[in-house]
Amino acid sequence: MKTIIRLAGIIVLLWAAGLADNAQESQADHAVVSFTNPAKPGTVEVDISEGSIAVRGYEGKDVIIDARWREKALTKEEQESEAALAEEGEELDQEELARKKAQAEKAKGMKMLQIESMGLTVEEEENIIRVDVEEGKRSVDLLIQVPFSTSLRLSCRDDERGVTVDRVDGEIEVETSDGPIILTNVSGPVVADSSDGEIKAVFGKVTPGKPMSFSAMEGDIDITLPFDVKASLKMKTDEGQIFTDFDVQLTPSQQKKEEDERKEGGGYRVSFEKVTLSLINGGGVEIQLTTYEGNIYVRKAK
Amino acid sequence: MKCECEQIREKSADYLAGELDEKSLAEVRAHLADCPACREELEGLSAIWTKLGVLPKEQPSGALRSRFYEMLEAYKKDMEKEREKQGFGQTLSHWIRRLMPRRPAYQIALSLVLIAAGLGSGYLLSVRSRSAARTEVAGLKSEVDDMRRIVAVSLLKQASPSERLMGVSWSARIDRPGDEIIQTLLETLNHDPNVNVRLAAADALYLFYDHPEVKEGLIDSLAGQTSPLVQLSLVNLLVEIRERRAAGALERLIQDEKLNPKVKKRAELGLVQLS
Repeated sequence: MKTIIRLAGIIVLLWAAGLADNAQESQADHAVVSFTNPAKPGTVEVDISEGSIAVRGYEGKDVIIDARWREKALTKEEQESEAALAEEGEELDQEELARKKAQAEKAKGMKMLQIESMGLTVEEEENIIRVDVEEGKRSVDLLIQVPFSTSLRLSCRDDERGVTVDRVDGEIEVETSDGPIILTNVSGPVVADSSDGEIKAVFGKVTPGKPMSFSAMEGDIDITLPFDVKASLKMKTDEGQIFTDFDVQLTPSQQKKEEDERKEGGGYRVSFEKVTLSLINGGGVEIQLTTYEGNIYVRKAK
Repeated sequence: MKCECEQIREKSADYLAGELDEKSLAEVRAHLADCPACREELEGLSAIWTKLGVLPKEQPSGALRSRFYEMLEAYKKDMEKEREKQGFGQTLSHWIRRLMPRRPAYQIALSLVLIAAGLGSGYLLSVRSRSAARTEVAGLKSEVDDMRRIVAVSLLKQASPSERLMGVSWSARIDRPGDEIIQTLLETLNHDPNVNVRLAAADALYLFYDHPEVKEGLIDSLAGQTSPLVQLSLVNLLVEIRERRAAGALERLIQDEKLNPKVKKRAELGLVQLS
């Protein structure tokens, strides 16, 4: 089964026609989509360039998407960057054309549902729900409610509100460029990256055996783990500091790994691992934390 | 005919006892009328049956009873005599006692000699098997490596970034990675959509920097990376392994106008460190 709800832009047309009054009102889109196989944990993928994503786990089987379009008009700076993009756009057009053609092929034999909207697209295929927002002129704030066991792949660029996730037990892959990543009541595995934002993650429990990784360029990484978690932390920071209230067994940051196999006809290898490895409760699930300037905080849940 | 005679003779006992059904009875009678041989046989048999019938029933005599009890008694007496004799175990310990020297000093000496003999023969055996064990261990090691290689490569192709991270950490545990693992790790470093997985791949490759393709791969990768964090990590690694050939790649990186200012600063410092 494949569902496409194409929420096309009547409002965009009206707005473009100069009815600016309408556009000043905040518009909301609402969509409810179910997974092909609700018994199996599904995946929700969201990739937006301007806006924020908030995901919450709830007791239900469907995915409920609410999109709220921001009122703000484009700043001068943004208008300039739009113009610059349009100039670069020549090459992209071919790709875009091919993509549209492929999309039309996918929807063959189906009819398009017209809903008043700014251009929100929701697709379901093989238990993966993809949420796309047309590269519009306004930012969008998405609130998505998902079943607890759903896996998430979230990407959010160029916005300061970033991504928040609460009460989701599936695997979470998330990246932002400017905004923060704030995860609460999650169990992992989490793989998160933010170039300029901070990352905060509070784990209710930790799924054993599944490696996790957090990386931030400028922001801090702040994770809270259950007091009895068995974890092996690999921490690397160039200019930041590392703090923790766990009792950790620490191995020095310049660990020399020496292997002498010459007697057995092998080689001799000396290498340095420039990471701080620390074991919590004897070690266990691998968690890698990498920052450049930001600090790393590993907290014990109270 | 012979066959028929045999069948009839099988039935003759029943015939004489009068236990045949009518059909069989008629068959037997008809056959007996035609076959003189069977008739003769049956007459003989009949005579024996009649004589058996008149034999008196045998009764055990009084003598039998007393003979039985005599025999039982004799058997019992033999058993008792047997029990009075020394058991086999006791005989053995008696012999050992006679072999052992009486004085404790000699006893200790004897035990030491026996222990030495045991150790010696054990040592001889182990020397012989040690070289075999060594090749066995080497074989096992390479088998474990092969297994890790297969697991690592298949994990690195998974959709879940956590599983790909696991693949990277399996690769890092391989003693002799071989070209396949190096290639897969380089591919991960250059094309994995996730920054965290790319970072982990860079760290894993660093462990294998003495492999000829790794240094080249790390240098080439620098130009294609978009994430400032991965760029920084690569600059750090190349400086760490004192790879002079990286200087050209660092210079090209610095000239990129869109480069993150922090990466630029680090790359400039790296150039100084390398020269």
